[in-house]
Amino acid sequence: MNGILITNNPAAEKKYFGSMKTIYLENTDYIHILYSVRDKIHEGHKLLTHPLSGSVKPNQTPYKSIVISEEKGQLDFDSLKIIEDSITIAKKLLDEKPTREYSQKILDDFQLIDLDLITGGIESMRQF
Amino acid sequence: MRLELGKIQIKDVQFGKETKVEGGVLYVNEEEIVNLVLEDEHIKSVKVELAKPGEETRITPVKDVIEPRVKVEGRGGIFPGVINKVTTVGEGRTHVLSGAAVVTCGKIVGFQEGIIDMSGPGADYTPFSKLNNVCLVVEPADGLLQHEYEAAVRMAGLKTAAYIGKAGANVTPDTVETFETKPLNESAVEYPNLPKVAYVYMLQTQGLLHDTYVYGVDAKKIVPTILYPTEVMDGAILSGNCVSACDKNTTYHHLNNPVIQEMYARHGKDFNFVGVIVTNENVYLADKERSSNWTAKLCKYLGLDAAIVSQEGFGNPDTDLIMNCKKIEAEGVKTVIITDEYAGRDGASQSLADADKSADAVVTGGNANEIIVLPAMKKVIGTLDFVDKIAGGFDGSLRPDGSIEAELQVITGATNELGFNKMSAVTF
Repeated sequence: MNGILITNNPAAEKKYFGSMKTIYLENTDYIHILYSVRDKIHEGHKLLTHPLSGSVKPNQTPYKSIVISEEKGQLDFDSLKIIEDSITIAKKLLDEKPTREYSQKILDDFQLIDLDLITGGIESMRQF
Repeated sequence: MRLELGKIQIKDVQFGKETKVEGGVLYVNEEEIVNLVLEDEHIKSVKVELAKPGEETRITPVKDVIEPRVKVEGRGGIFPGVINKVTTVGEGRTHVLSGAAVVTCGKIVGFQEGIIDMSGPGADYTPFSKLNNVCLVVEPADGLLQHEYEAAVRMAGLKTAAYIGKAGANVTPDTVETFETKPLNESAVEYPNLPKVAYVYMLQTQGLLHDTYVYGVDAKKIVPTILYPTEVMDGAILSGNCVSACDKNTTYHHLNNPVIQEMYARHGKDFNFVGVIVTNENVYLADKERSSNWTAKLCKYLGLDAAIVSQEGFGNPDTDLIMNCKKIEAEGVKTVIITDEYAGRDGASQSLADADKSADAVVTGGNANEIIVLPAMKKVIGTLDFVDKIAGGFDGSLRPDGSIEAELQVITGATNELGFNKMSAVTF
């Protein structure tokens, strides 16, 4: 299975640039990564990893990495449902309590966790 | 498989020359614990501190809580595949230092979480405020990476719990409880008129600080499988999950899983509790499809009438929970699911990231977004450096007077999804 990584995490971009198709959206916030993925799903891509990976909440970490299928087909309603539900939950938490400013050290740790979670997903994807 | 759990009630913990249990008091030799932990070259230093119920003490950031246990009869040792050989456990006799725990603390990442208050309003929300805790504050060797630090803290806790547990090997327990699960055909013959019910035990398995181990195997790499419930009581399932303090299952939760306890209490009376199906919560959606397919397949294969399904975590696992629920119900097996909620501060918003009409019997462990104010404590075990950055904290969380305003998320075990807490909701 071939996937496209959509991310605002520089650590994920650095690790996967060159080894898989990557859309790096620098300076894009968490919710807009989800919106970008939703747009791609409407274009016919399938969701391959869960948008709300990790127990670090959408209003806690600024980083999000998601993998979608490289192939396009008919609109996949399962993918659409998952991304729409994820947007609803993320928006609710962000509206109530927006993400804060962090020091670089903490941003590095958030990047590390996001990278580790998406790496698990990519490793599963690359089994076959 | 038949296991006797001999519970030795621990009423106090003190430092002593020898690690032993005497008259309900656990004495621990600080130097021996330090030496044990420092066997690991990844650890630069460890501070051993005691925290008792009612003290004005705050422990944070908590990584894991582990109950000291020791196997005294039967195959294998406690925490198989990690501390002892990977022998199948769950039979014979195990002694438990009930009322005591090892609590590990370490600032593995900069956004930290996990508070245990030993008194005050926060103490009501965590079961660990009622225990006599031996706390390990673990500092990493210079330059140690987060993955290695997490593994070192995890191992330090398990080694120390196993070491302390040995103090109970030759002590006569205050109570002895017996748990028995027979092979499926035998139990079906024994209880022909009772519905067959299993427990679907979902484990957090997403990656660094989000992992769980079954007999030493990283559970993101398993396919759903069947355990005797007593295997869990001997430490077959261990936590490597540090994120989301309120709804992570610590190793203590696994050892004392209240779903398993309650199902045994009703076994042979209301239903036939046939066993545990363990499954995972991965990031890759195809893994979720496979695991939920297999879970439903095993429910059907076991001829179940019903299954209790418990979740661990937020967001991503909601999808696994609903996939399990839908597919198990589609096999004609009734489900009750256990979760918690992120329903906004007023509790009025949508609670989960997924839903389905088959999920019509739901138990909640509470709303993690609820706000709580924790007063300052006289003593802090660990560090408050990161309280502003913890999950559920926010700018200004740590007030100048040392009090903390934050969401319930910060408290270890507050909205536990095994039901090992006091909160829930009832509809009429």
